[in-house]
Amino acid sequence: MKQFFLFLSLLVALSACGGSDHQEDMTKPTIVDTVEDACPTDCQTFRRGEEMPFCYLLGDNDELGNYNIEIHNNFDHHTHSTSSVECEMDAKKEPVHPWIYNEDFAIPAGSTSFVARQFIQIPADIDPGDYHFMVRVTDRSGWQQLKAVAIKVVE
Amino acid sequence: MASLLTTCASPDSTIVLNDVTISGNNPHTYQMKTSQTSVQISHEYLEQNFAGSLMQTLQHIPGVKAISIGSGQSKPTIRGLGYNRMAVTEDGIKHEGQQWGDDHGLEIDQFAIDRTEVIKGPAALLYGSDAIGGVLRLYSNHVPTEKVEGKVQLFGRTNNGQVGMSGKVGGLLNKFFYRAHFTMIDYADFRVPTDSIEYFSYRIPLHHRRLRNTAGKERDGSVMVGYAGYTFHTDVRVSDSYSKSGFFADAHGLEVKLSDIDYDRSARDIDLPHQSVNHLKVLSHTTWHGSRLGIETNLAYQNNYRRECSEPISHGYMPKPDNARERVFDKSTYSANLAFHLHVGDHQVQSGLNEETQHNRRKGWGFIIPDFEVHSLGVYLMDRYTCRENLILNAGIRYDYADTHIHSYHDWYPTPVDGTPTYIQRSQPLHRHFNSLTWSAGINYSSGPWVMKANAGKSFRVPIPKELGADGINYHIFRYERGNAALDAEESYQLDMALCWDNGQMSLQFEPYLNYFPNYIYLNPTSDYVEGLQLYHYTQAEVLRYGWEAIWTWQIDRHWSSTLQGEYLFARQESGLKKGYTLPFSTPWSAEVEGKYAFGWGRQMTSPDLPAFVAVNARLVGRQDDIVPPEKPTDGYWVLNLSAGHHFHWNRCSMQVALHVDNLLNRKYFDHTSFYRLIDVPEPGRNFSAKVAVDF
Repeated sequence: MKQFFLFLSLLVALSACGGSDHQEDMTKPTIVDTVEDACPTDCQTFRRGEEMPFCYLLGDNDELGNYNIEIHNNFDHHTHSTSSVECEMDAKKEPVHPWIYNEDFAIPAGSTSFVARQFIQIPADIDPGDYHFMVRVTDRSGWQQLKAVAIKVVE
Repeated sequence: MASLLTTCASPDSTIVLNDVTISGNNPHTYQMKTSQTSVQISHEYLEQNFAGSLMQTLQHIPGVKAISIGSGQSKPTIRGLGYNRMAVTEDGIKHEGQQWGDDHGLEIDQFAIDRTEVIKGPAALLYGSDAIGGVLRLYSNHVPTEKVEGKVQLFGRTNNGQVGMSGKVGGLLNKFFYRAHFTMIDYADFRVPTDSIEYFSYRIPLHHRRLRNTAGKERDGSVMVGYAGYTFHTDVRVSDSYSKSGFFADAHGLEVKLSDIDYDRSARDIDLPHQSVNHLKVLSHTTWHGSRLGIETNLAYQNNYRRECSEPISHGYMPKPDNARERVFDKSTYSANLAFHLHVGDHQVQSGLNEETQHNRRKGWGFIIPDFEVHSLGVYLMDRYTCRENLILNAGIRYDYADTHIHSYHDWYPTPVDGTPTYIQRSQPLHRHFNSLTWSAGINYSSGPWVMKANAGKSFRVPIPKELGADGINYHIFRYERGNAALDAEESYQLDMALCWDNGQMSLQFEPYLNYFPNYIYLNPTSDYVEGLQLYHYTQAEVLRYGWEAIWTWQIDRHWSSTLQGEYLFARQESGLKKGYTLPFSTPWSAEVEGKYAFGWGRQMTSPDLPAFVAVNARLVGRQDDIVPPEKPTDGYWVLNLSAGHHFHWNRCSMQVALHVDNLLNRKYFDHTSFYRLIDVPEPGRNFSAKVAVDF
């Protein structure tokens, strides 16, 4: 029995040295619409051939990484919105010449808060219809946040 | 349960171990066999503790875990290392599928397995690359003892409506023997104790609390013929294992998608997305034993054909493909092992040669790993020196050479680069050589009720083609993965110890380990984007890991017995971009307590083994806050399991009935090491499993 207690104390001693005190970043970045002209928002409509403004506030506790904007069609109603808003959608259809947009943007090093602002040219010859506007942002440690907005492009 | 399983416990009665028992003290004999930490799992244990699948049964062994990958399948890990960091062998040959994949299961007929052994810790000396974390050794080559013998097993699970049947027949005639097996399993979508899943703010309602489209089926068959003489043994085994199962439809990987497929019309159909795997294996095993010298050869051919299908979608500049064939892998592996055993005085010398050639071809519209060929060759020499009956020393050395050839790959669709449509090259042709010198040394010492073991060793792993040459979207996890052609062979140094105390009634076992990787290959989530997806890039970092497993068993009296066991694991990256973080899927601490009551009636009470038992088992798992992106902390939990069994005998036949209840209280909990944890899918709810087996 003595040996048994020897065992137990050894166990306790070994586990005690495994405490994890986190100095590492455990927080994801944020994408918020608390800027005055936050755009696009759910169900917003844009015209072909026009310029579409983009503006969101990105934030992180430590340091922001990069952000990406990606736009793809939702003609098959595959749904992507991260909000509970249900927008009125056109009938399902097959894409002929859908709008594909996918760009990465850098954020100045050392930023913990950054107003991301872009003007995106909507090509004049793309299929009108329902689109998804995806914003993704990373922080320096590799955490990622995502926001999806349902938009519509009309003629 | 522990009385049947642990290394401190009684060994399998059906295997060669009985032949080498000298003192009659079986637990010590097994412990003294190797200086590595190992656990032997007998046929009886597997039968009694049937929990639905082999991996689910094995995960009650401290240090062994099954990463559940949905659809009733799981991947093994040993002390937190899985995928290509542990080896699974069947009858001495390394099983070669697509081990790197998150969704890829065991691809072996688990009902044909006679017994199992788990080596915890590095075992490169005998198995070469990959065996860094340990080896799961499966044996399905037991020689029949009767002219005709066989077994029929029927089994089922309530959670996923699994029904299955397995049969075997075998016989021994004038030293010639044969064996044949078949297994058929069908299962429906599995149930989770929740009405909906929330992921990235998407709420996914579940129909009848079932995880959509996780149904599947499995068909296995094998035939073996051989000759078992006193000094010469040879056998050939041909086996084929086929399985098809669906992926959770709403979140195939990390993307949430709606589909026109009416998944809810049936819980048993397998719709897109789904995977199917066929694993064909031809294995030949020959041994010859003289008075001092023994020679052993293993030759094997394996073909692993995997198809992953999903509804075609356009992504980025990739147009919508015209078929569902997302990824196809066709991998052939040829292996040859030759080993010599020589007894000279107190020395047992073993030397050998392993050769392996792999050939992998891909198809489909999704690119993740390139075509490749890998040739590897290893030679080893080891000596086991019995100084005294209670003191054994061993040491060994091994040299490996591997040659990896990766083919180039270009996209099948153009991407505009500076206005010019370009077929982007995803994979560069690459030719790499790897050399590695590994070693191992250990000691076994026994004194009275004690056995002490220590083993130190170096292991290695050749980077797999995915780590060297991947460059594409992983649709299963929706991220962009990029290989690193400059990776070095991963090395690992490990110190293992085992302290064991056994007085026949009570046993204690404590197995600590310390493990250091100078260059652990890590898929690092970066802050960069490629084609709209976060880039994960293979890098190498120093990693320190340590932990222990402990088990205490107590045979209180003839009827009552109890087991208390626990495990703990700590891992930290000591350099690189994620310095200070742990490794992905870090195993939280856990403890398990079990009480078992064995009983019988009438005449059975006088037999040495009581034929029936009932056992209650509680599993307690700690919270895991030690995470890396993109993981989430996971709360601790406890679950209650029940099991019962009965063994009937009449004439030459016997029948076993095994019942098992998992998660008796139908608690909702998350397993940090489950692949589905990332998409917030809880573990399966209450499940009853039953198995009836008749031996004749």
